Amino acid sequence: MAELTYREAVAEGIAQEMERDETVVFLGEDIAKAGGVFKATVGLYDKFGPDRVRDTPISEQAILGAAMGAAMTGLKPIAEIMFSDFLAVCWDIVANQIAKIRYMTNGQVSMPLVIRTANGGGARFGAQHSQSVENWSMMIPGLKVVAPSTPADVKGLLAAAIRDPDPVMFFEQKSLYSSKGDVPEGEHIEEIGVAKVVREGSDVTIIALAAMVPRALDAADRLYSEAGISAGVVDLRSLVPLDTKTIFEQVEKTSRLVTVEENPRLCGWGAEISSIVAEERFWDLDMPIIRITTPHIPLPSADELEDMALPSVERIFETVRQGVD
Amino acid sequence: MDVLMPQLGETVAEGTLSIWHKNVGERVEANELLFEISTDKVEMEVPAPAGGVMKEILVKEGETVEVGAILAILDDGTDGSVGPIAPEPAPSLENNAQHLTHSLPAASPSVASAAVSPNHDPRRRLSPVVRKLVAEHNLNPDNIDGSGLDGRIKKSDVLALLQRNAPTTTDQASGSSTSLPSVDGKKVIPFNRIRRVTAEHMVRSKSTSPHVHQGVEVDFSRVDRVRSDKGVAWRAREGFSLNYLPFVARAVCDAIVEFPHVNAHVEENSLVVYDQVNLAIAVDLNFEGLVAPVIQNASSMTAVEIARSIAGLAARARANQLTPGDHLGATYTISNNGSFGTLFTTPIINQPQVAILSTDSITKRPVVVEQDGEDHLVIRPVGIVTQAFDHRAIDGAYAAAFLRKVKEIIETKNWEAALP
Amino acid sequence: MAKRTTKRRISKSTKPKKQAARKSKIQLNDDIGEKTRLRMWQLQLEIRHVEQRAHDLFFQNLIKGTSHLAIGQEAIASACAAVMRPDDYTFCTYRGHAHTLVRGASMEGVLGELMGRECGLLGGKGGSMHLTDVEKGAMGSYAIIGAHLPIAAGAAWKAQYLKTGQISFCFFGDGTTNIGAFHEALNFSVVWKLPVVFVCENNLYMEYTPISDVTAVEHPAADRAGAYGLESIIVDGNDADLVYRVARDAADKARAGDGPSLIEAKTYRHSGHSRADPATYRPEGELEKWLERDPLKIYRKRLIDFGVKESKVVAIEKAVLEAVDDATEFAKNSSTPSKDVLMTEVWADGGASWRN
Repeated sequence: MAELTYREAVAEGIAQEMERDETVVFLGEDIAKAGGVFKATVGLYDKFGPDRVRDTPISEQAILGAAMGAAMTGLKPIAEIMFSDFLAVCWDIVANQIAKIRYMTNGQVSMPLVIRTANGGGARFGAQHSQSVENWSMMIPGLKVVAPSTPADVKGLLAAAIRDPDPVMFFEQKSLYSSKGDVPEGEHIEEIGVAKVVREGSDVTIIALAAMVPRALDAADRLYSEAGISAGVVDLRSLVPLDTKTIFEQVEKTSRLVTVEENPRLCGWGAEISSIVAEERFWDLDMPIIRITTPHIPLPSADELEDMALPSVERIFETVRQGVD
Repeated sequence: MDVLMPQLGETVAEGTLSIWHKNVGERVEANELLFEISTDKVEMEVPAPAGGVMKEILVKEGETVEVGAILAILDDGTDGSVGPIAPEPAPSLENNAQHLTHSLPAASPSVASAAVSPNHDPRRRLSPVVRKLVAEHNLNPDNIDGSGLDGRIKKSDVLALLQRNAPTTTDQASGSSTSLPSVDGKKVIPFNRIRRVTAEHMVRSKSTSPHVHQGVEVDFSRVDRVRSDKGVAWRAREGFSLNYLPFVARAVCDAIVEFPHVNAHVEENSLVVYDQVNLAIAVDLNFEGLVAPVIQNASSMTAVEIARSIAGLAARARANQLTPGDHLGATYTISNNGSFGTLFTTPIINQPQVAILSTDSITKRPVVVEQDGEDHLVIRPVGIVTQAFDHRAIDGAYAAAFLRKVKEIIETKNWEAALP
Repeated sequence: MAKRTTKRRISKSTKPKKQAARKSKIQLNDDIGEKTRLRMWQLQLEIRHVEQRAHDLFFQNLIKGTSHLAIGQEAIASACAAVMRPDDYTFCTYRGHAHTLVRGASMEGVLGELMGRECGLLGGKGGSMHLTDVEKGAMGSYAIIGAHLPIAAGAAWKAQYLKTGQISFCFFGDGTTNIGAFHEALNFSVVWKLPVVFVCENNLYMEYTPISDVTAVEHPAADRAGAYGLESIIVDGNDADLVYRVARDAADKARAGDGPSLIEAKTYRHSGHSRADPATYRPEGELEKWLERDPLKIYRKRLIDFGVKESKVVAIEKAVLEAVDDATEFAKNSSTPSKDVLMTEVWADGGASWRN
């Protein structure tokens, strides 16, 4: 084990796969010589050279189009979209092309690529650089959607995403880049589509993703010490494929479900989880399913406002405490 | 928190506080009887919306106030004001106001008033898993202590009960196969709320009204002819069977025209006689209690309309979907025990009415009829119709004459014409 | 237009008069040769007759949905195909029956897909606008304007990275030159020096609107080339020989590692934008003028001028027609897709499951 930051784990995961597979290539804006605007890819250019780690113009359609063309002809590209907000300018390539081409061609084309992007709020960047958009990808058939919460998962899931034969949207939470954690040394790979029970609990299950996982854990600590409520926390890790098995096991155990998501209220991923549980585990529920989300507003930039908008430890604590009564 | 004048029915705008069951300083538990109110038509008992100590009574007994008015202040451990518990309410971040309401029902007038409705009583609003457990273990939720907000029953409450190995059965009367744990050869079944209310009402009625019972034997041949001629088509068209009750009900309404004093209330030293018959029908809730929802203005209805109303009310009663409005304003009550084969029943008057009718089993019997000066033995469907009346209000001859009229109508009315 | 750099105009005009003048210069045993010419003749015929058949099948209600025919534009796809190596990549648009066929995709596969049959290239899952035959190098027909230009660049990147010597051909219409992805792809391909040949088929109409009404420059592709340091190339798209030569030069350049080219081929579609379009917006006489310059008419004459026996020319056409007839029958007799395929091939494991 080595203690790494979340951002160091990004470079380590990419390096691990580039070392073992010549067909893995990496492109994006400022990712090569500059090492990425979040310094998440420092060292890769020096290590793997300009043929494999390439800077691009500010042309998101070209970046993802090129990644797609390379993926369908035999490479395993990793494309970086600097901020997930920018996915909106190349959404055609993601939603219409990358996601659909295997199905449209009845399996003639494979799409083994990874789109990495810095996602989510907390950095005071305002409404166009702070969105949490993993739900956009979740609703497109043909995309796998991964969002890790720890450095170890960044490395293991990124490696898994690169090896995956299908397109994977890999959402790195930008406020987590400086967080630290133990990461297995040597080859480390995780399985995509498996949620992780990061805290066992008997009274209520909190399902969270990415930056909401540490907040849910903090809230669970307080729920236990201040209110005597035993809250379990599930780190979903991937939205597609969705580990409904783990979700159901926890709901069956606690009969209470709370989802914590950064998505704005409408059609956030928690809505889908709630719908599935309401439909398939209705008879196990002992209270209404509660969704804790960012309100349905663009994210503001001022410290106080952004903090109020994003689900906080305090809000999770209070909402769960009241809900469980 | 504030204790509010509940909504008693869609058309009721005000009510009179008749009795406070708790005084200032007394402790009251959630759902414990707190006060009674009366309107021009009905009396209602209202349980406490939450547990706490009576802090202040703002409306005294006998005062009439509008729906929604603050009647008293209950110290339930919150700061006592209307509003969320959080001292500085934050903006609702998820637009899930309903959820917040759910979390803080005591603060919401709508929820406080809803406490009188069985559908909104938090104790009766069972979560899916509680419903499942209750069904699986054949439990009566009324007998389970709820530890949740406002006494809501949580999964853990049911599990705790099961663990104590003392499941409370609902099935008192049927003697179902559920093995009841007996202690010293007996089992203790505490009264639930509906049982308590029924018990109290029956004692009050018996002690208030001197009951007299009279019965008449009625020949249902004409009714039977219609039922056998039209019953199949009726069932196909209406979706429920055509039984004797609507005919009896119609006959009662007709007879009341001639004997209106049985369609009345006793109020203080007066008999209040009503022009219109609001007919209460006693409905058994699968041995779990008794309700008597009301067919408003049954006197203006045809037998067909009455039949449909009875079927609708009974279905809603058994689905637990009756509203307070369904209980308002009854002027006469019919109880029907015929399906169990009883010969006759001596019913207890539904206060403040003055009479109640019971119909019992109708069976084929040998009957002697006189025709052309000769006696003939014939087979006829016959049943005994019994009425209890309040001797304070009317006397035996009047009541008997009313009964005779009911009998005559059932036996002679052209029922074929009354049914399409 | 004053500042344009190196410009090579192979045909400055599309007027028949000048065509006739140029034809006199054609030499026997020239750089193209009979074998290639007969192949281009056959490919043009295949496109023409398959497209015509698609048109006819619409009216028999055997083809549903929409479809965009390339009748009148056959020379461009055919000539470029004649330039390509079998392992090169083709990327085209929703008007892509032609570009898919010329790579060797089967006629029954194309017609079957249009008819929604099991024998279709995509098993009935793609339809007219997404014809693809990866084995033949036909890497897909893309129905969102502009998307496939960067994708073609990506395939070229793979060839560059693995040094396979393959190149990408990317076909698109004049309307594409006004969408962002066109400009992103050109700049990107030039900066990365990618082996890709961009071919703009300028048929004068974006959809229903003349391209000149909505474009800042006269030649929508060629006049933009300079902005990306590329040669401005315009060619008569109705003459397969002329297209062949510029395509060959561009392909050679790409394979030599000298980066992309952008070719604007002037042409005309004889039908409307799609099956639903009667093309009433065209000025009177325009179609007639272009019918005179029908690429098949030009090429038949070319072959005769070259001394190819008329019987040979006719025999090829007859064989193509028979093949189209056979393919039509085959497709008609093919069953409709099995319901089992609905939920397949979303993922590489062959399935469609998004949960466990």
